Amino acid sequence: MTSLAAARPLGLATSRIARRHAWTAAVVVFFALLLAWNASQTKSFGAFEIQTLLASTLALAYLAMAQSVVVIGGGIDLSVGAQLVLVNCLSARLMEGTDLGASLLVAAGCLAVAAAIGALTGLVITVSKIPDIIVTLATSFVWGGVALLVLHTPGGGTSGGFQALVLGSGNDWWPALLCLLAPLLLVWAPLRRSRAGIAIYALGSSKNAAYLSGVDPLRTRVEAYAVGGLLCGLAGLATTAFTAGGSPQSTIAMNATLNSVAAIVLGGVALAGGVGGLVGPVFAVWCLYLLPNIMLGLGVDPSYGEVVKGVVVVLVVLVGGLLRARRKRPE
Amino acid sequence: MTGVAVKDAGTQRSLLARVAATDRSTLALVGVLLALVVANGLIDRSFLSLSQLRNTLLVTAPLALLAGGQTLCMLTGGIDLSVAMTATAAAYVTGVQSADGPVTAIVAGLLVGVVVGLVNGLAIGVFRVNPLIMTLGMSGILTGLLTVGSQTFLGGATRMSEIVLELGGGTIVGPVPWNLVVWLLLGGALVVGLRRTGLGRMIYAVGDNRVACRLAGVRVWQVETAVYTLCALLAAVAGILIGGRSGSVDLQLAGSYLLPSVAAAVIGGTSILGGIGGYTGTILGALILAVLDTMLNLLTVDEALKQILYGCIILALAWVYARGTTTA
Repeated sequence: MTSLAAARPLGLATSRIARRHAWTAAVVVFFALLLAWNASQTKSFGAFEIQTLLASTLALAYLAMAQSVVVIGGGIDLSVGAQLVLVNCLSARLMEGTDLGASLLVAAGCLAVAAAIGALTGLVITVSKIPDIIVTLATSFVWGGVALLVLHTPGGGTSGGFQALVLGSGNDWWPALLCLLAPLLLVWAPLRRSRAGIAIYALGSSKNAAYLSGVDPLRTRVEAYAVGGLLCGLAGLATTAFTAGGSPQSTIAMNATLNSVAAIVLGGVALAGGVGGLVGPVFAVWCLYLLPNIMLGLGVDPSYGEVVKGVVVVLVVLVGGLLRARRKRPE
Repeated sequence: MTGVAVKDAGTQRSLLARVAATDRSTLALVGVLLALVVANGLIDRSFLSLSQLRNTLLVTAPLALLAGGQTLCMLTGGIDLSVAMTATAAAYVTGVQSADGPVTAIVAGLLVGVVVGLVNGLAIGVFRVNPLIMTLGMSGILTGLLTVGSQTFLGGATRMSEIVLELGGGTIVGPVPWNLVVWLLLGGALVVGLRRTGLGRMIYAVGDNRVACRLAGVRVWQVETAVYTLCALLAAVAGILIGGRSGSVDLQLAGSYLLPSVAAAVIGGTSILGGIGGYTGTILGALILAVLDTMLNLLTVDEALKQILYGCIILALAWVYARGTTTA
């Protein structure tokens, strides 16, 4: 396979790379434009603003990555928000009054729980043959309920060391960026090149073809949802670090889930499955964060941010769909 | 030719045999519902009283209307995640406009539904935007508009007028609340419309095989536009009823109805992939959810356990249904 690809003319290879990454590149350019616009509005735009951007979007960025992995594998997870809230509550309760070492231990435990939750979801979906939407809709109630059991009212806490380690403070913007890159480089990059990762893409792009080529649907689905669960766990921990506590409200879960779906669609992951990556959605999350800020700078009521977000998401999907349809037709 | 023959065989079977054959899952749902009602009666005798019956029906009617719209969308293979916000927006507009008289207010509320539904339907049917994304985006757009609007162009008191209050929470006679009448009228129209009209059959056909429908000359975009408009209209009616019951309107009015509206349709046997299901099942699904909710309240289960049980039961019912359809 590789030798064949290498033997191809260079032009063809570059055009393939360009086609494959066109969407991500477009999102990055869009983000750069928004950032420049926002920077021109603020007098002293610098490290502090970058730190705020990274720290306040870290949880949603993880969540968008979680949703991406699942959607690339041909599913959709409406319980990502509930999983975030559950891990947030669990970690906030256990981390209260601990030092950095104990906090990290708790974090590791929470991640294991989150991955197990994801794997369980994948297992139930494959075994029961119920559509993903329905199963994750039902489990979102379950995890929301468990979160309430763990933490009845908003509360809990975490150690200051953990907060500084995850988010940085003041002008230190690199800890949050490192935390964001860690799962991309340590989990996703190796996975994507491995057999399991290719199986996830294959299953998402055509279930039957993947099965006939020897992909085990049960195993692949469980793996995709487990990685998704792990990333949801990271999102929950990031929320704990950002808010220094836990909050079991179902509206948080609902909004987070809806935002994650909006972000992956903007980030170039096709809802039909098998297309996209994890970098585009992260940039999309940043774009969605900057929009209300820019509107505030323009003197528009930031509540219109929701309106603009909705319109942008719909328009992007509309235009993207038209472009994809036009590209397919001549072939 | 074969189509005619099959149709003849179908009409020749006795009504009873047909009911027994096609509606086995419906009978199972009725069984679940009866079991829940009996269980509730055993837990608390007063559940079987007329006033409790009225309360249950009062809660069910708006949910069943929302779930009805959801059923239509799911039958075409789509989903509408904006029903809750549409309902809230309709109720809000009705509340604000009630100073101009109840008729204007209700018409304004329903218009909100029509406009939202038309935009959804045209985007999904003509411009082929994924329904999940379109309705999700619409939900965000409505949230933003209402948040800003409540301070500017939709400012003022949101007191519902007397007629709306009566419709949402009033009683005609004994255990029959007014909103039940609204539900029965619209629900009856839905059941008959899906079974007997051309549009109803087209909705099933589009959900079953969109491409085949287009090749057969069905204007798929018209069917989808009609479906999403009807769905939003039903959501607007439900919103006005919910607003009438609570008396005043805030931005979280109908938010908690979104997931149950999908759940009721799923429990009732409507497939989210399209083409399978119907409103009769959804009605039973909505009733089961309402009775279940009352039961968990009667048992004074705390909110956490209630949510866990609720999720598990939806999952279990969907699982049973999935097994039933794959083995049959």
